[in-house]
Amino acid sequence: MTEAAIALFVLAALIASVRLLRAPNLADRVIALDVTLISFMGAIAAHAAHTNSSQYLILLVVIAIIGFTATVSAARFLQHEQIGLGGPVDPGVPLESSDTGPTRGSNSAASEIGGAS
Amino acid sequence: MTIVAEVIMIVGALIAVLAAVGLHKFATPYARFHAAGKASPVALLVVALGAGISLGWAGSALLIVASVAMILTLPVGVHMMFRAVHRSTPPTLDIDDLAPAERFARDRNK
Repeated sequence: MTEAAIALFVLAALIASVRLLRAPNLADRVIALDVTLISFMGAIAAHAAHTNSSQYLILLVVIAIIGFTATVSAARFLQHEQIGLGGPVDPGVPLESSDTGPTRGSNSAASEIGGAS
Repeated sequence: MTIVAEVIMIVGALIAVLAAVGLHKFATPYARFHAAGKASPVALLVVALGAGISLGWAGSALLIVASVAMILTLPVGVHMMFRAVHRSTPPTLDIDDLAPAERFARDRNK
């Protein structure tokens, strides 16, 4: 019956992948990719129970942290992309510029953010 | 005992399917992010519980570490996506509780 669990996780990953291909904007794609990733994490856990070996379980920890990094970097990219386009709403630039204060060593990034705002 | 573990794992897989279907079905981005950010970590926790029952303590240690990493990181990431969407789209909400806070932050930093 663990095969059924693995099959259901792959089904969930397929449904989320369809959403990934048909999403209207970038934020929905990132979230769909997140759900795909978590479905495969569940499939890895079910596969470990199926084969009764904890060999691949360390992958779950790595995938959790890598997926978090991907989501956060995509979110930051979305905010700064809207600043560059000059969108209809002020997307809260001063909060971000006060956050990026300590990264003064990288001159190129600091001047890029300052020029865009 | 193994039948209990298998039933728990299938329940977790069904929760993951519901999370993926919710991505298609909900209308607004905030509702879709709720479907993804609440249901999918619960699916992973439930399947980790089932796999932990099946694997014993050696496997459960790694599964607990993976679950704690997931609980600590995934809500933060989904919250940052909420914030990015809220700041980068024109206001379409009827009641926007974040708008006064963002206005306050902008005025303070001017």
